[in-house]
Amino acid sequence: MKLKRLAISEEGFVFDPETGNSYTVNETGLLILKKLREGLSPEEIAGIMSEEYGISREEALRDIQDFLEAMARFGLWEEKYG
Amino acid sequence: MKKPYQKPTILKLQVGFLREKKSSLSRMVRQEIDGVPVAELVEKFGSPLFVFSEKRLREQFRYLKRLFEGHYPRVEFSWSYKTNYLDAICRIFHQEGATAEVVSNFEYEKARRLGVPGDQIVFNGPYKPKEILRQAVLEGARINVDSLDEILDLEEIARETGEKLRIGLRVNMDTGIYPRWDRFGFNLESGEVLNVARRIAAGGKLEVVGLHCHQGTFILEPEAYGRAAEKLVDLSQKLENDFGWTIEYLDLGGGFPSRNRLKGLYLPPEVAVPPLSEYAEKIARALLTRLPAGDYPLLILETGRALVDEAGFLITTVRALKRLPDGRRAYILDAGVNLLFTAFWYHFRVEVEREIPGPPEPCVLYGPLCMNIDVVEESALLPPLARGTRLVLSPVGAYNVTQWMQFITYRPRVVLVTEKGNVEVIREAETLEDIVRREKIPEHLK
Amino acid sequence: MVKVAVSGINAVDNPGPGLGIIKGLREGETPVSVVGLAYDAMEPGIYLTDLIERAYLLPYPSEGEAPFLNRLLYIKEKEGLEVIIPALDAELPLFIDLEERLSSYGLKTFLPTQKQFKLRAKDHLPEVAEAIGIKTPRTLVLTSYEELMKALSQLKFPIMVKGLFYKAFRAYTQAEAQQYFHAIVAEWGYPVIVQEVVKGEEMNVVGVGDGEGGHFGLVAIKKLWITSLGKIWTGVTVTHPELLTAAESFVKHFRWRGAFELETIVSGDDIYLIEINPRFPAWIYFAVGVGINLPARLLKAALGGEPERDWDYPAGKLYIRFTDDLVTDLEVFQHMVTRGER
Repeated sequence: MKLKRLAISEEGFVFDPETGNSYTVNETGLLILKKLREGLSPEEIAGIMSEEYGISREEALRDIQDFLEAMARFGLWEEKYG
Repeated sequence: MKKPYQKPTILKLQVGFLREKKSSLSRMVRQEIDGVPVAELVEKFGSPLFVFSEKRLREQFRYLKRLFEGHYPRVEFSWSYKTNYLDAICRIFHQEGATAEVVSNFEYEKARRLGVPGDQIVFNGPYKPKEILRQAVLEGARINVDSLDEILDLEEIARETGEKLRIGLRVNMDTGIYPRWDRFGFNLESGEVLNVARRIAAGGKLEVVGLHCHQGTFILEPEAYGRAAEKLVDLSQKLENDFGWTIEYLDLGGGFPSRNRLKGLYLPPEVAVPPLSEYAEKIARALLTRLPAGDYPLLILETGRALVDEAGFLITTVRALKRLPDGRRAYILDAGVNLLFTAFWYHFRVEVEREIPGPPEPCVLYGPLCMNIDVVEESALLPPLARGTRLVLSPVGAYNVTQWMQFITYRPRVVLVTEKGNVEVIREAETLEDIVRREKIPEHLK
Repeated sequence: MVKVAVSGINAVDNPGPGLGIIKGLREGETPVSVVGLAYDAMEPGIYLTDLIERAYLLPYPSEGEAPFLNRLLYIKEKEGLEVIIPALDAELPLFIDLEERLSSYGLKTFLPTQKQFKLRAKDHLPEVAEAIGIKTPRTLVLTSYEELMKALSQLKFPIMVKGLFYKAFRAYTQAEAQQYFHAIVAEWGYPVIVQEVVKGEEMNVVGVGDGEGGHFGLVAIKKLWITSLGKIWTGVTVTHPELLTAAESFVKHFRWRGAFELETIVSGDDIYLIEINPRFPAWIYFAVGVGINLPARLLKAALGGEPERDWDYPAGKLYIRFTDDLVTDLEVFQHMVTRGER
């Protein structure tokens, strides 16, 4: 799993030691990264986000999909393996 | 209490794009236009929606009038119809004392229909159809001649009326700016103007009483107006001496900029666009130092953009979200270049109706047309927007509601926020009936 | 201790003047604490903690005056900033426009006026040169392709093809000239300036005008070696009397205020003006090194003091630029991208 190798700071700074690339994520992005690392599914994370921020599960899931899409383009996420 | 939600984002850090992001956030919010909430405007009148502010229109007119009159004793503002000829907008400027500057039969007729008397109309333009030219002559309009052929037309009309006609000459000249507009009127430096003047004097049917010079558009060099004013004064004195005419007015045309962001200009308009007071000073100084005291011809200004641009807003709504192959976000808006003709030349200010948390990201704003050119902004910096978010684009008051196209879709409503804060529709949205009304199906296709 | 902010800390292959200015300030008699102003988290100056105590990112000048001013006021609030010495062409118009407002908040600068700043446009050069008694290379201002073709038949190759403010290419053939012409038009629009190349010694003068016709010192140098980007790598001080007289006339005639650099070509008895920069050049430390600490003098002027005016420097001092390496943690970078400051 690619996510495991990332160094993630509480400020939302993300460093990939394998490629040398750095990224920034915002608060919700950070939450998703952490939960993915804990092994939660996008659906489960959507549940947490909807609880925490008072948004609908559908909106949360759509935004998570969009986030994962962006991650995939950076080579940080593969649909099958996570 | 729930925490404020922001859409999750991840940005790759690249040298050259590691810029400061926080300071630009606050300026991007616009919740209301002259006190009327954006949300309320859209709920009542739909999206997209053009919104004009009567307060801003009047205030800007009064500001410019005071400014120029403070520098020169005789000034007339002639409202440039092509910049925005919606009836309500023209009415506001006419109420404030502006005459009408028109450049076609349509605009002439529109001004007359609005009740502007012929002698309150400045008639410019490279093609004035004979019929309307005759009408303008009879109604006493100020006619600024663009070509020799027009002089021939006017001489013919003079023969019909049996009276000597009073005309203005359009002059083009080098005022030190680029590009130089040399297609309108007669060239000064080559001596063409004087040749034409001789020809007019020899004809005996016409008399030159005014000079007109329109240097270009969005001119960022106040000194260019000073130079134009100097050259017009010199020319007027030459014409008065050589031909015995009296030059009653000098018309410096338009071209004064608004605080819009011209593409290709790096600096923001607050810095790149000189204050209009500088233009007033340069023009007045050039005129006052060259004219004999007390003998002041009327100064006519055809400011369009500088009066109306910043009073116009377009509210548009994000209708779909996309992610482009290069990773950038893209938004599909319900307003495109069909409504925003000036998007080809200007970067509008893009404001969001409410504060949206999250870091600004580079993104593209597309219009709704199924056309590759339909790009409202190729690189905006916005926080991640949800579908349905409303954006306010400005300044869009100049040239858009005249140059917009009925293409692919309907044109929306235009409303005016009055000085009292009421909202009035000044142009209804188009319907299918509006568009097909003029079409005819031949019998064999029915 | 005076808190001074300096921009242009991008010491890269086309270096900004910031680090040279800062080294000068640190060698001056007024003790300073330096805040570095950067536009990108990778600007090397950010990482040089010995030279620059604190660093902040600024929004791009193109984003508008309000965010720019807000950011500067935020930095002032946080750092107790007193003086700003901007050093980049793109930001100068903003600082000049904001000068009064900054001053009302207690932020001091020492800048040219807007009118003086405009003299740097290359189509103004002949007028400036004439006013100070020197020449300009034969120059034509073009606004169309037809004019280019006409110009090419009149000028002697090689020629310089230049944008009004940015970009300059040397063309040896008609084809090259056309290619550069199109490149400049595409990026910067008209007018395009074409200029005959004058053979001679490339000499530059740096100085600080007092705004009343006098100055706080001048230093003239000759470039001995330039990089492929045209940047000085080694140079030598000169005391060319006519060149220095021309620089004094420049200051006097335009009542120049603040830092400036005149780029010239000296050919026999003739001096040709090539460019006016309304700021310190990247090699400003050269002046400091030969005893004329112009950055420190400018700081003093900004603080309302009366700086030294002597400028008796020796000819024949050598300037050597060199590269250097630094190894550090990602931490500073991380702070710059997440907080915009360190």
